Amino acid sequence: MSVILELTDVSKAYDQFKVVDSFNFKVNQGELRCLLGPNGAGKTTTIDLITGRQKATSGKIMFNGREITGLREDRIAKRGVGRKFQVPAVFKELTVRDNLRVAFSNNTDPFANMLRFSRKEGRERLDQVVELAGLQDRLDELGGNLSHGETQWLEIGMVLTQSPKLLLMDEPTAGMTEQETQKTSEIFNRLKGQHTLIVVEHDMAFVREIADVITLMHMGKTLAEGPMEVVENDPKVKEVYLGSEGITDAA
Amino acid sequence: MQRANLYHDKRAQWAAYLVFFAALAVIPLIMDDPYTMNQYARYGVFGILALSVSLLWGYGGILSLGQGIAFGMAAYGMGATMQMQYQDPVNDPMPSFMLTNELEALPVVWEPFWHTHWGVLLAIGIPVLFFIIFGVLMFQARLAGAFVAIMTLAMLGAWYSMAYDMQPYTAGFNGISPPNAFVAFGVEVDPYSNLIYWVSLGVLGFLTLSIKALLQTKFGTVIQAIRDDPERARFLGYNVAYYQTVLFALAGLVAAFAGVVWVMISQYVSPTELDIFFSISIVIWAAVGGRMSLFGAIFGAMFIKAAETNLGDDFQATWFVILGVVFIVVVRFLPKGIAGLFEIAIGFIPYRLKSSSRSDVNSTSAGD
Repeated sequence: MSVILELTDVSKAYDQFKVVDSFNFKVNQGELRCLLGPNGAGKTTTIDLITGRQKATSGKIMFNGREITGLREDRIAKRGVGRKFQVPAVFKELTVRDNLRVAFSNNTDPFANMLRFSRKEGRERLDQVVELAGLQDRLDELGGNLSHGETQWLEIGMVLTQSPKLLLMDEPTAGMTEQETQKTSEIFNRLKGQHTLIVVEHDMAFVREIADVITLMHMGKTLAEGPMEVVENDPKVKEVYLGSEGITDAA
Repeated sequence: MQRANLYHDKRAQWAAYLVFFAALAVIPLIMDDPYTMNQYARYGVFGILALSVSLLWGYGGILSLGQGIAFGMAAYGMGATMQMQYQDPVNDPMPSFMLTNELEALPVVWEPFWHTHWGVLLAIGIPVLFFIIFGVLMFQARLAGAFVAIMTLAMLGAWYSMAYDMQPYTAGFNGISPPNAFVAFGVEVDPYSNLIYWVSLGVLGFLTLSIKALLQTKFGTVIQAIRDDPERARFLGYNVAYYQTVLFALAGLVAAFAGVVWVMISQYVSPTELDIFFSISIVIWAAVGGRMSLFGAIFGAMFIKAAETNLGDDFQATWFVILGVVFIVVVRFLPKGIAGLFEIAIGFIPYRLKSSSRSDVNSTSAGD
């Protein structure tokens, strides 16, 4: 399997404090990787560094064979990295349909887009995504009128509409009810194999449901990596979560 | 947030615009009063200015308090063009105010204005160019909200001072008053005529419908997306600063058109066009009428200016207090302005969205 994303000795420091500390990380094409760790472990910062929201202090990030370290967010997005935010971000004053139309961003030039009236473009893709996210009946609703779960699915749908090579999902089930989480794991299991995904998550039941390989971060470094059972029984992991009942309590 | 109703029907919207402009276009045939036509032509210009604020602020989320910059620059360009139409290259090559300011020869910056086509082109092109540069500076640095408002306001103040202080070039406080009406293609655009009204209304109508069409394109959807959440748009691959700069320049273009028409109507340009209170007023018109609706913003401008003309004399300075109170009430209770009220009212008319088929991507219902 070919490596799609590779972080080499990536660090992010605020003054003396390193939030991400010489972090090494490799993800293969088609993999679904879960990124775990206690609060402040550097998970979201890592996602920020990959997507260009923050600039690494040192180190190198390779994506699809090309370096993307320090590029602007929209450039990285155009290379094929999609991102779902921790706090769901959709366009509140636009309809679900228009949210997805904006996400269908194969051409992002403002002048080219001034001449595009057709609402047919990307229709096939839109139909697929709408079906996957279960938003068939909500297309004419404003983004701001959706329930929390629907907002999360819409954002997942938007990231999928982008057709990215790599999807980064920051806590996709945060604030969801049990049923909603169940539906989300179904969505993820359908995505597996077709897309490469990195999921930051606290909900262990959800992680068990979807994950192949887990990377456990602690203090900006990799503490353990491997299948769930291996990571769970790692003595170093037990040490970090001392007094608790293992990583199940990581949230 | 509202459910979709007839207010959101694109066909109904286009029909409303066409009826509105058609109704306005026949007014001179009924009235035929040159003074009133001059007055109404001015309302057209205020409508164009409110249009530029609606596009930029209502749809793009960029609050500029400096639309007067483009308006004023274009007005000076047009003033210079009309002044030079009057001057004679051989016997009388310099406007009289330059002579009183002891200039030896016509300044180089005035030379292009000998040619009417160059003059009008520069009057519109230079403000747009300035807005591009100014926009790049602000939006590359990711300025937003109050910072953009303050920057544009400060810039407006700077231009006001320049127009005021560079007396030999701008006639300073007195302003430029071209003696004759503007002549284009051999036609004299008399400021007291039906023609001036139609010119003003024509420009307003053309710009309104063009912007309306622009908002139907993907560009229109993307700028509204950026208004809602610039960060989300960025991570979808959009260069937000680029979009904002283009939008800012377009709004500058619209305001520049207003400046050109304004001087055709008033035959006078002075630093008052760059006055800070005037630019803030434009924002108030758009807010009261409804910045999220082109129609609403235009209506707000015309309504408030008409009220000012008819009631302003009675209230004098109190008028501004009334305007201020109205603005506060609207911002607090009616974020979508008068258009928002209209949207609610029209919701009582039974209406069914015509597309019920699930995957019909052709229909749409973004807010106007």
